[in-house]
Amino acid sequence: MRRWLAGFNAAMVAFMLAPLLMIVLMSFTPAGGFELPGWHWSLRWYRAVFAYPGFIDAFFLSLRLGLATATLATALAFGAVWTLQRRLVPGVTLLDSFFMSPLLVPAVVFGVAMLQFLNRHGLYNSFIGLLLAHVIVVLPFVVRVIAAALRDVPRQLEWVALSLGANMPRALLLVTLPLSLRGVVAGFLFAFIVSFDEVTVTLFITGPAYQTLPVRLYNYLTDQVDPTAAAVSAMLIFLSLCLILALDRLGGFKTMRR
Amino acid sequence: MRVAATTANRVSRFGGGAGAAQAATGEGGAHRRLLPILLIVPLLLLMVACFVWPLTSSLINSLHPHSDSGPILGQWTLANYRRLLDPFYLRVLWRTLRISATVSLLTAILAYPVAWYAATLRPVAQAWLLMVYITPWLVNVAVKAFGWSLLLSTTGIINRALRGLGLIDAPLHLMLNETGVVIGLLHAHFLFVLLPLWAALSGLDRRLLWAASSLGASRLALWRDVILPLSRPALVSGVIINFMLNLAAFATPALLGGSRVQLMSYIAYRVNLVDLNWEFGAAVAVAMLAISMLLIVLARRLGGLGRESVA
Repeated sequence: MRRWLAGFNAAMVAFMLAPLLMIVLMSFTPAGGFELPGWHWSLRWYRAVFAYPGFIDAFFLSLRLGLATATLATALAFGAVWTLQRRLVPGVTLLDSFFMSPLLVPAVVFGVAMLQFLNRHGLYNSFIGLLLAHVIVVLPFVVRVIAAALRDVPRQLEWVALSLGANMPRALLLVTLPLSLRGVVAGFLFAFIVSFDEVTVTLFITGPAYQTLPVRLYNYLTDQVDPTAAAVSAMLIFLSLCLILALDRLGGFKTMRR
Repeated sequence: MRVAATTANRVSRFGGGAGAAQAATGEGGAHRRLLPILLIVPLLLLMVACFVWPLTSSLINSLHPHSDSGPILGQWTLANYRRLLDPFYLRVLWRTLRISATVSLLTAILAYPVAWYAATLRPVAQAWLLMVYITPWLVNVAVKAFGWSLLLSTTGIINRALRGLGLIDAPLHLMLNETGVVIGLLHAHFLFVLLPLWAALSGLDRRLLWAASSLGASRLALWRDVILPLSRPALVSGVIINFMLNLAAFATPALLGGSRVQLMSYIAYRVNLVDLNWEFGAAVAVAMLAISMLLIVLARRLGGLGRESVA
């Protein structure tokens, strides 16, 4: 029975990783099309990626957007979650559910709403429009991770700082923040990766001028397909893998398994 | 004495503490009320302006008739919703529900043995296995769909392998149809059934199993009367979340289903960005939101889908 279960699990792991491994293999092909590389591996499609400005520009846009989104979302969430946890405002439960609520709205629905909203205010196809939408999308993840981190900071230490003469913002910045830094960094990384990978909402609210890397890839795939797409995808997988390992080191997944 | 008073005063600025009442007046009180507001209001404003308001205004949009120059604001109508009852859209809705349910059912069947197995592993092994299952979730959806197309297309690896082995003459059509969509969604949203099940089964008190078997329960009875009922809430809430995600998926069905498998999300895209009929487009979105909300209520009722709160 147990051996059977282990075998089944191995099969499911293979199912989970197969498409990713396939991409990585394919990206090293020396052939002009989708032939698995045999003994000869080549970096020609990686060179093709760097020769194609569409992907490079999109990468830097995604990077800027991801960093801006993560910074804004982490800063806003840190203050708000701290306020909620110390019960300094009324309606804590309600506000908490409110901050988590973007998780309950399907991405397509939010995309439609944002499209119509941004258009009306002249923000369609703009960086700021993308930023606003992405902050909302990543917010629930950041709130949850930061909440877990702040829960572990004893309030008594804040009181100690106050009793030693610090004012409240100072205590928050010099005591609470350093003590919860791992969680805050995990929240930041989580926000970055979710923003960096966002496709659906972004597809609704960008025109040709602001195509993030995943959107560019999506459009590339619906249009023409050559191993350049495999090379870009392989690099994206590698990036995700690095971030996942970092998140794991920081304990960011502890909050995932309730 | 003076030091003690100052301490109490300062402490109370954080709320609670020994001297909360004392600080309610004077300089400390003002501080105490101002900082929380400064910390929470920006996020609150952002949420209202960029989340609540866009959704609300789309809802309002959906109640106005469409014209080429935008909604006719003077008139209110339900015509946009009535149009959803057109046989074409009902077929799309039915297809969406059917595919989503198929994927959820398959996921439940496949995730259960994995969760059961994973829950029996040592903690270190569990952590590694968890990462393996989380990885596909954090890889971009377009990348995942592309990976599947390399495997599933008529010239893909699976077809080439089967042909090389002489098992098939004509290529199997594994994508650009519903099969492709089901495989892609199964892969994309597997985690959301697996995680709650995994947590429930690792939290399961194994002594209950010993107790049951010592009282003469057969293996089958053990599953039917102990394990399944105890993990049912996790299973139900996981399956409903999974169903919701399937319902709303956009890129995966678009890339793996092609133009033949049009789902609700694709209709929402086409109406809003190709037909530019935002009033009807908003109605499609509101309908999708309503279905999702219904499912969430259902999940809360049946599965006790509880989130841990931040406080």
